[in-house]
Amino acid sequence: MSIWEKMLDLDRRWIFLLIGIACVVPFFTPLGLPILPSQEVIAIYDYIENLTTDNAIFVGFDFDPGTAAENMPMGVAVLRHAFARHIPVFITAYGPLGQGMAAMALEEITNEDSDDYYVYVNWEDWASIREQGITDRAGIEEAWVAAGNTLAENAHGWVFEGRDIAMLGYLPYFHLVILGMSSSIASQFPTDIGGNSLEEMPMYQDHKSLRDIDLAVTTSGSSACVAWITYGREKIGLPVAFGVTAVMATDYYIYMQSGQIIGQMGGLRGAAEYETLLLRDGYTKSPGKAFVGMDVQNIAHLLIIFLVILGNIAFFAGGFNKKTKLKGRR
Amino acid sequence: MKRTVPLAIVMVGGILFMIQYFIPHQYSQTLFNYYTEWAPIVGAFALVLGVGSLTRLHSHKIKRKAKNWQYSYAVLIPLFGIPFFALIMPQNLGGGMMESMGGDRLTQGVFDFAYMNIQVPIQATMFSLLAFYIASAAFRAFRAKSALATVLLFSAIIVMLGQVPIGELLGKWFPKVGLWILRYPNLGAKRAIGLGVGFGVLATQLKIIFGVERNWLGGAGE
Amino acid sequence: MSETIGIWVAAIFTIGIYSFLYKENPLYRLSEHLVVGISTGFGIAVTFTQVLKPKLIEPIVTGEHGAWLLLIPAILGLLYITRFFSGVAWLSRYPMAFLMGAGMGIGFPLSMKASVLRQLEASLVPLYEAGMPWDVVVGNIVMVLGTLAALIYFFFSKPHKGPFFGTGSKIGIWVIMVGFGATFGFTVMGRISLLIGRIQFLLGDWLHILK
Repeated sequence: MSIWEKMLDLDRRWIFLLIGIACVVPFFTPLGLPILPSQEVIAIYDYIENLTTDNAIFVGFDFDPGTAAENMPMGVAVLRHAFARHIPVFITAYGPLGQGMAAMALEEITNEDSDDYYVYVNWEDWASIREQGITDRAGIEEAWVAAGNTLAENAHGWVFEGRDIAMLGYLPYFHLVILGMSSSIASQFPTDIGGNSLEEMPMYQDHKSLRDIDLAVTTSGSSACVAWITYGREKIGLPVAFGVTAVMATDYYIYMQSGQIIGQMGGLRGAAEYETLLLRDGYTKSPGKAFVGMDVQNIAHLLIIFLVILGNIAFFAGGFNKKTKLKGRR
Repeated sequence: MKRTVPLAIVMVGGILFMIQYFIPHQYSQTLFNYYTEWAPIVGAFALVLGVGSLTRLHSHKIKRKAKNWQYSYAVLIPLFGIPFFALIMPQNLGGGMMESMGGDRLTQGVFDFAYMNIQVPIQATMFSLLAFYIASAAFRAFRAKSALATVLLFSAIIVMLGQVPIGELLGKWFPKVGLWILRYPNLGAKRAIGLGVGFGVLATQLKIIFGVERNWLGGAGE
Repeated sequence: MSETIGIWVAAIFTIGIYSFLYKENPLYRLSEHLVVGISTGFGIAVTFTQVLKPKLIEPIVTGEHGAWLLLIPAILGLLYITRFFSGVAWLSRYPMAFLMGAGMGIGFPLSMKASVLRQLEASLVPLYEAGMPWDVVVGNIVMVLGTLAALIYFFFSKPHKGPFFGTGSKIGIWVIMVGFGATFGFTVMGRISLLIGRIQFLLGDWLHILK
């Protein structure tokens, strides 16, 4: 058995070990290389940057835990951006497990141990302010602070349930739900997942259907995102942005070029680019999970390229391109 | 009644709503609104099919003591236990499910615990196993055996280096060429595939509406 | 306390599944089964609280105006259950027909617009305009000709011979290979990202080695 044959016959568990090491060690030796945002991501960021408290967006958590490592940082980054700018956000999910993902994203954003957390104010907690007839964002915060509430030093701000956020969650046959929401959001979601009436929410008053919504960002691990284009964009002209896994991202450049989406975050890189923009503009104090993850990707990518080259050298040097079959365990 | 009526419902519904798109009218809009409100309700019951099949399959496995039958309990217990805890058990006994967003509510009940600490890590880890297999495949299967395979290989390497920050250190042109590949030749290929899929979807939709494609009827009797 | 237990449980499952890389084992098999049970159980609970309770049960119980009409989708939905009784299994076709027919009718014009017409329209780009950078000019030519060539490659009604179909399909397969290469490159990034996500959990949330 030649050295090349031995090499190609290597137990694949050694390769598993190598890739494991390549993904662990860089966490302790960060390179800290900058990530330059692409036009696809900047377009989403700038679009949201130009929205105000009078606008509203949808963020779809249209993925399962399987792709959370890629999609979650996108959802978290967009939510942070919207919360910082007090843009009302309706959260939906294409599948039941996506609803749990959305809850986990909010858990991350409201985690007091983080440098960049938001204080979540439950619907019931600010009922007295609503009873006074105060519904505008600035007025609510003013009344809330006047009531003796203070913001912790490491907190970024408040998130008022029903004014800044409505967690609508999951419904089956979601593409039809998108269509239904083009007439009325409350016809599909009479309440949020906590059972609070949507029609009583201040954020609902100016945004009763998808026609009143300025952007839908879908973070997706499947073709669910296309439903937002087919049933939202094409039916009522709803602006849509994608946050998709890397595996799917190359397929969706067609929607970017055709103008059917305003922008696209592709995989962890896309999320890291959005995080870079948030950090640049002071919306976060430290880089997010995707940014750190991309640092680790450097070594892993180099290793994979090295493996491809090594595999090819062994294959051709060993003359296996002329033989029909390699012996031994594959 | 068994085949003709369902096929007729599909045809009438399909044609009606297709026309509704081109000629919107108050009556058809009302019908459309009813449909979009009712569809999730009807769709919700479809879950019964999944639950029924799973229960039947795994209870049979346990009854017959088939291979690895013990694991069937790992399907059946959470299948009924999770909804039981979420919907029936009182909160002080671990019941309830995600309602309010504030505080640390995700760690309180069995429902949230099972989702956060069992479902999420298992599913995420299972998907991440693919990282190991793709590395192994890169070494064993990714060969420049022909000119076409070589093109694929080079395109992959350039795009890979273009995506990671270190690529720019190795050559300033990597990210630029990587993006160019994504935005132009990749787009051309994917658009052709997308158009093919698009036409396929349209043809299938028409075939279902007009009763040419009947596989969806399943084997539930003539 | 429950949070700590939760993280430990999650860590044990994570490591247990990775042990599959060495050898198939009972913990992996257990995980495989648990994931099916929990996700379906989760689906039942969420579907009940999100759909059946607010959209069906509550309006009927509270006697909302016109709520009796909701009995129609409820009965249709219940017909799914007949699937398990061979004599009346055909009744389960009714809810399917209700969802499919109208769904296809609504979807047809919108799919045509989204996946075909807009895409065809977007392919008609000016190849050159004054001031256009050269890489965009080359890119536009590659994109337009690439789309056409790849379409020819997928067109099987004519033999791939001659200057149009023959050359076209040859160029088509080259363009497709470049596209697949790009997808492979991105797939590597995607898969590694998922692994990085789990390592971040193990080293950060569980072992607290990372911040």
